[in-house]
Amino acid sequence: MPAIEKKQTIIKGFGPGIVSSDVKSHANDPFVIKKVKEAAETIQRVGLPGQKKK
Amino acid sequence: MNLNRYDYFNSNNYQDYEFYSEGPQGRIKKVVQYTKIPNAYPPAYNLAFGDPDPDTGELDDTAISNNHDRDIVLATVANTITEFCNHYGNHYIYAKGSTPSRTRLYQMGITGLWEEISAVFEVYGLKDNVWWRFTPNHINYEAFLVKRK
Repeated sequence: MPAIEKKQTIIKGFGPGIVSSDVKSHANDPFVIKKVKEAAETIQRVGLPGQKKK
Repeated sequence: MNLNRYDYFNSNNYQDYEFYSEGPQGRIKKVVQYTKIPNAYPPAYNLAFGDPDPDTGELDDTAISNNHDRDIVLATVANTITEFCNHYGNHYIYAKGSTPSRTRLYQMGITGLWEEISAVFEVYGLKDNVWWRFTPNHINYEAFLVKRK
């Protein structure tokens, strides 16, 4: 019996995704940690739109 | 926004999203991850986007997929922002590439879909330590902030 492969679907317009327990968290991924640290440093330095620089 | 996008899966806390880019280079897994940025007020979240390493699972945004589907990928990422905002509120979302050329690619993607993106999101570009309203021009921004209208 041939394997059945789930085909990717292209959808037009906004819509919800599918909640899946197979989606693992990348919150502790070194790449993510580095990016969050850089983002925090940038926002500390320049603030957000409409805010004065610290 | 009425753009073609990929179907995607998300974690039950709506902070992690996965989908597959499909094109001449094959089927390439993509991950979008949202993390609250410490000490940011009003609250802001970092958007991390990349390909998971097949062996370690760690993300990397330096790979060049060359799968000829940039607009579909960007529209899918934009859709995850909307989904994330549906659950966490309309906060600032910060995004920056790992290299200037990668950030430039993001800018080109935003510019290409500007009409649709600007209808749904406020977009700011960082230049010389100032957040400017994004304009599709030749300024090379250093990072981006997106906020759903």
